[in-house]
Amino acid sequence: MPEKKERYQNRIELLQGTLDLLILQTLQWGPQHGYGISVAIRNRSGEILQVDTGSLYPALHRLEKQKWIKAEWKVSENKQRAKYYQLTAAGKKQLSRERSKWSQLSDAMAGVLNPEQM
Amino acid sequence: MSFWRRKTREAELDEELRAHLSMSVETRVARGADRKEAEHAARREFGNVGLVKEVTRDAWGRRWLGDLIDDARYGLRMLRKNPGFTAVAILTLALGIGSNTAVFSLIDALLLRSLAVPSPRELVHISFGPPGTKGPLPGPMFDRLRERQSAFTDLFAWTNAPMVLTEKGAARPVTGAYATGSAFPTLKLKPRLGRLLNWQDDEAGGSSNGIAAVISEAFWIEHFGGDPGVLGQPITVDGGTATIVGVVPRSFNGITVDYAPQVVLPFAFDVALHGKSSWFHTMGRLKPGVGFEQAKANLSTIAGEVVKESVPSNYQRADDLRNGILSLAPGRSGNSPLGETYGRELWTLQALVGLLMIICCANLATLELSRTLNRQHELVVRSALGAGRGRLVRQLVAESAILAFAGAAAGIVLSQWMSALLVRYIEQSDFPVFLDLRPNAASFAATTALATLTVILTGALPALHLTHVHTEEMLRSGVQRSIARKRHPLTASLLPVQVALSLLLASLALLFAISRGKLLHVDPGFRVKDITLFGVDFERGPEKGEARLDLYRRMLGALRQAPGVEAASVIAVRPLGEGGMDESAGPVEGNGPATKHLFENLVGPEYFATAGTEVLAGREFSQFDRFGRTPVCILNQAAASFFFPRQNAIGKHVRPGEPNAARDTCEVIAVVADAKYLSLREPASPTIYYPYEQLPNFNWVGFITRSHDTSAAVAAFKNGLRRVAPETPLLPPITMQRQLEDSIGKERMTAALSLFFGGLALLLTSIGLYGLQSQRVVQRTAEIGLRIALGAQQKDMLWFILREATAVFAIGLPIGLALAFAASHFIGAQLYEISPHDPRIYFAAVMTLLGAGFLASSIPARRATNVDPMVALRYE
Repeated sequence: MPEKKERYQNRIELLQGTLDLLILQTLQWGPQHGYGISVAIRNRSGEILQVDTGSLYPALHRLEKQKWIKAEWKVSENKQRAKYYQLTAAGKKQLSRERSKWSQLSDAMAGVLNPEQM
Repeated sequence: MSFWRRKTREAELDEELRAHLSMSVETRVARGADRKEAEHAARREFGNVGLVKEVTRDAWGRRWLGDLIDDARYGLRMLRKNPGFTAVAILTLALGIGSNTAVFSLIDALLLRSLAVPSPRELVHISFGPPGTKGPLPGPMFDRLRERQSAFTDLFAWTNAPMVLTEKGAARPVTGAYATGSAFPTLKLKPRLGRLLNWQDDEAGGSSNGIAAVISEAFWIEHFGGDPGVLGQPITVDGGTATIVGVVPRSFNGITVDYAPQVVLPFAFDVALHGKSSWFHTMGRLKPGVGFEQAKANLSTIAGEVVKESVPSNYQRADDLRNGILSLAPGRSGNSPLGETYGRELWTLQALVGLLMIICCANLATLELSRTLNRQHELVVRSALGAGRGRLVRQLVAESAILAFAGAAAGIVLSQWMSALLVRYIEQSDFPVFLDLRPNAASFAATTALATLTVILTGALPALHLTHVHTEEMLRSGVQRSIARKRHPLTASLLPVQVALSLLLASLALLFAISRGKLLHVDPGFRVKDITLFGVDFERGPEKGEARLDLYRRMLGALRQAPGVEAASVIAVRPLGEGGMDESAGPVEGNGPATKHLFENLVGPEYFATAGTEVLAGREFSQFDRFGRTPVCILNQAAASFFFPRQNAIGKHVRPGEPNAARDTCEVIAVVADAKYLSLREPASPTIYYPYEQLPNFNWVGFITRSHDTSAAVAAFKNGLRRVAPETPLLPPITMQRQLEDSIGKERMTAALSLFFGGLALLLTSIGLYGLQSQRVVQRTAEIGLRIALGAQQKDMLWFILREATAVFAIGLPIGLALAFAASHFIGAQLYEISPHDPRIYFAAVMTLLGAGFLASSIPARRATNVDPMVALRYE
C-alpha cells in the first residue's frame, strides 16, 4: 500500500449502503465509539477510506434508529464518557446480507470489467 | 418526536461529538504533537461541528415541530431588529384585511346570508301590487291564495310591528311581529323551549288559555332571566294580553334582516285588538321537487281569479288593486330593506376596499423587496457558514408567516371596530339596527391568504436570489457595490400601480365628499337649526276622536307655555323621515289637471311659522279650523301652480280623488313655499296640508318645537306628556339636524369612508415611495459622494433622486386618471350635482398625490444632499 495518500485524491465517495456495511463490519469486532470506528476503518483500509464525521454520525444514528446497532454510554480508555455502539442480533443478520450483496456486486463488476477472464 | 426527548438528544449528540474531538486531540498529543497544533488539526479534520450536528439530526427523521420553533424564533428576532418595518408591515396588513372583512361582513349580513332555517333556498316571497311595485297582500287575498295554490307546502304571513309592552304599570317599547299559525311550521323551526305558534293559534280568540305568544331567546334571557317558568305567564302588549307558550331559538331573528322580533303573536291578536287584519307580507316554501319557475307558472294561472275574488268592491283604491299582479321572488335571505337601501353603496365600498387591499399588498411587496438588499449581506454570510438554500428560504418564509399572522390578528381587531362604525352610519336614530355581525369567515380567509402569499413570496425572494450572487465576491468587495446597480424589476412596476390606484381612490373620495357637502347645504324649505321633532303614540290609549284631539291641544298648550320654547306645533309626516302619504286629488275650479301623486301631510296651527317655511299667500291654520267647520287645506307652491296654473289658488277648492264623506272638497286658504319632505335630492313634490283637527283619527301625529335650547324643549315635552297622558311611553326625540343627516346617511357613509380609505391609500403609497427613495440614497451613497465631490450642486442632487419619483408618477398618474375616469361612470348615479367628469376633481386629486409624493421624496432627497463626499467615498 502506498504510504503517502493525498486526502483529496483518495476521498472515495462512499455510497450510503457501503458505509453501513463498513460500520457494521467494524462493530463485528466488538463495541466501539464513533471516533474509534472512523480510526478502525481508516487503518484497515490502508488510509484509503477516510470517513468524515459528516457521513459517519448520520450513518450511526440512522443505523441505531433502524435497530441494527444499539448504543450505550461508557467510560473510554482515557477516562472520558463516550457513546459506544454494538451490533444487535438483527444487525448481525443485516451484516451477512450486506456482505453477500457486496460479493455479488464485486463479481458482477469483475465480469464487466474483465470479460476475458470469465 | 417528543420535545423533551429532543433536548436530551441534543445534549447527548453534543457530548458525543465533543468526545470524538477530544479523543482525536489526545491521539495526536500521544503521538507527540503540540497540544495547540493537535487541537487545530483535530478541528480541521472533524469539519464543521454545526453542520455535522445538522446532518445527524436529519438522520433522526422529520422533526417538524422543532424546526418550526427554531425558524419561528429566528423570524421573531429578525422582526424585532427592524421595528419600523415590522410596525408598518403589520399595520398595512391589518388595514387591508380588517377593512375588507368588515365591509364584506356587512354585505353578507344585509344581502347574502340565508335565514337560519332548514333549506332556506326553498323559501320565496310573494308580493302584490300594481305592475312595477311590490307590496304585501291584503288579508282576503292571502286566504284565497293559500286555498288555491298547489306549488307550495304552505304559505305564511309575517308582519313586523313595534309594540309597547306594559308591565306593572311601566311601558317599554318592544320589537314585535305578527305571524300566521303556518309561519313556524313552514319555516321548519324547532322551539328552544315550549312550543311555537301553529295553526291552532289562528283561531279567533285563541284557545282556552287565551291567545298564544312566543318570545325570542334573547328577550327571554334579557327580560325574564332565562327562567323556564315563563311558560304560561301572561304578557301584555298594546293593551291586549296573551299567554307565553314558547321561546324562539336564538339563531332565528325574524324574516327581516335588521329587525329581530322579541315577541311574536298570531294575527288573531291583531284582529282582537283592532278589529281588522293587516296587510300580510307573504312567504312560502316550495314543495320538494317544485322549482322556482314552476311555481311562478302555477301562480300566474291562479292569480287572475284570486285577485278578482279577493278585492272587495267598496275597497279604497279598488282600481289599483284590480290592476295589481302577484309576483314571486326568492326568499332565501329574507327581507332586507336596509340591504335594498344601502346595497349599492356597500358594493361601492367593497370595491374601494378591494382596491385598498391591492395597494396594501403592493406596499408590502415593496417594503419586503427594499429589505431584500439589506438582507443579502446577512444571507451571504450565513450561506458561507454552510446554511443550505432550502433552509434559508424556510426561515425567511417562517418570518413572513409570523408577520402575516400578526397582521391577520390585528386585522380581526380592526374589522370589529370598523363593523361597529359602519353599523353606526347606517343606523337611523329612531330604529336601532339589529345585525348579526360575525366577521365573515370567507372574506377573512381570502384576504389573509392573499396577504400571506404576498408577504411570503416577496420575503423569500432574497434567498432564492442567492445563486445569482457570488458569495465570495460579495464578502470581499462589500455588499454595497455589488448590488448598487441591481434593481428588482418588481419594485419598478409596483409603485406606479400604487400611484394609479391611489389616484383612483382619491378621485372617487373627492367626488363623494363634494356630493355630500352639496347635499348638506341644500335648502330644504324649512328651518333645520333649533328644531326638535317628537313622536307620540296616543293610539294605545283609550282616547279617541275628540278626546284624542284634546290631548293634542293640551300638549300644545304645555309646550307653547314652557320656558325656552319659542314655537310649537303639530306635524304628522316628519320632513325627510321616510314616511309619506300619497293621495290623488284634483282641482274643482279651473282647468288644471288632476294628479295621483299629491304628497299629503297633517299639521297644526302655526306650523309654518314654527318650521320656518314661508307662507307666500293666505293664512296659517288656526284653532278655528276644527272638525265640523269648513274643510280647509294649504297647498305648496308646486301644487298650487299645478292645479291652478297662473291663477291665485286662494279661495279655490281641491277635491280628494277618492270619494270620502269626511273629506269633501276643501278650500285652499294659503300657499306656502316648497319644502322637501321626501328627499333632499329630489325637488319638492306638490304637497297638500290638512289641519290635524279635521282628521282626528289619524295616528302617529307628533310635535315640532323651535327652541334655541334643545334640552329645554325636551324637558318641556317630557313634563307635558307626564301631565297630559302619563301612560303613554316616551319616544326618543330627534333634532331636525339629525333627521337631515340621517336622510343622507348613505351619502355621508360613502363620503366618510371613501375619504378614509383614500387617505389610507395615499399614506401607504407615500410610505412605499419614501422607503424606495431611502433605499436608493443608501445604495448610491458612493455615487452621490462622487458627484458632490466633482462639483454637483444641491439642486442637481435633488433632481438625481427625484428623477426616479418623477418617473413613477409619470407612469402612474395617467393610468390612474384613466381608471378614475372609467370608474366614475359607475358611481354617477350616487352623486349629487357634480358631474363624474368634472375636471376640477381630477386636478385636485392629482395635486394631492403629487404633494404627498413630493413630501415623501423630500426627506430622502434632503439626505442625499447632505452626504459628505469624504465619508461616502471612504465607506467603500
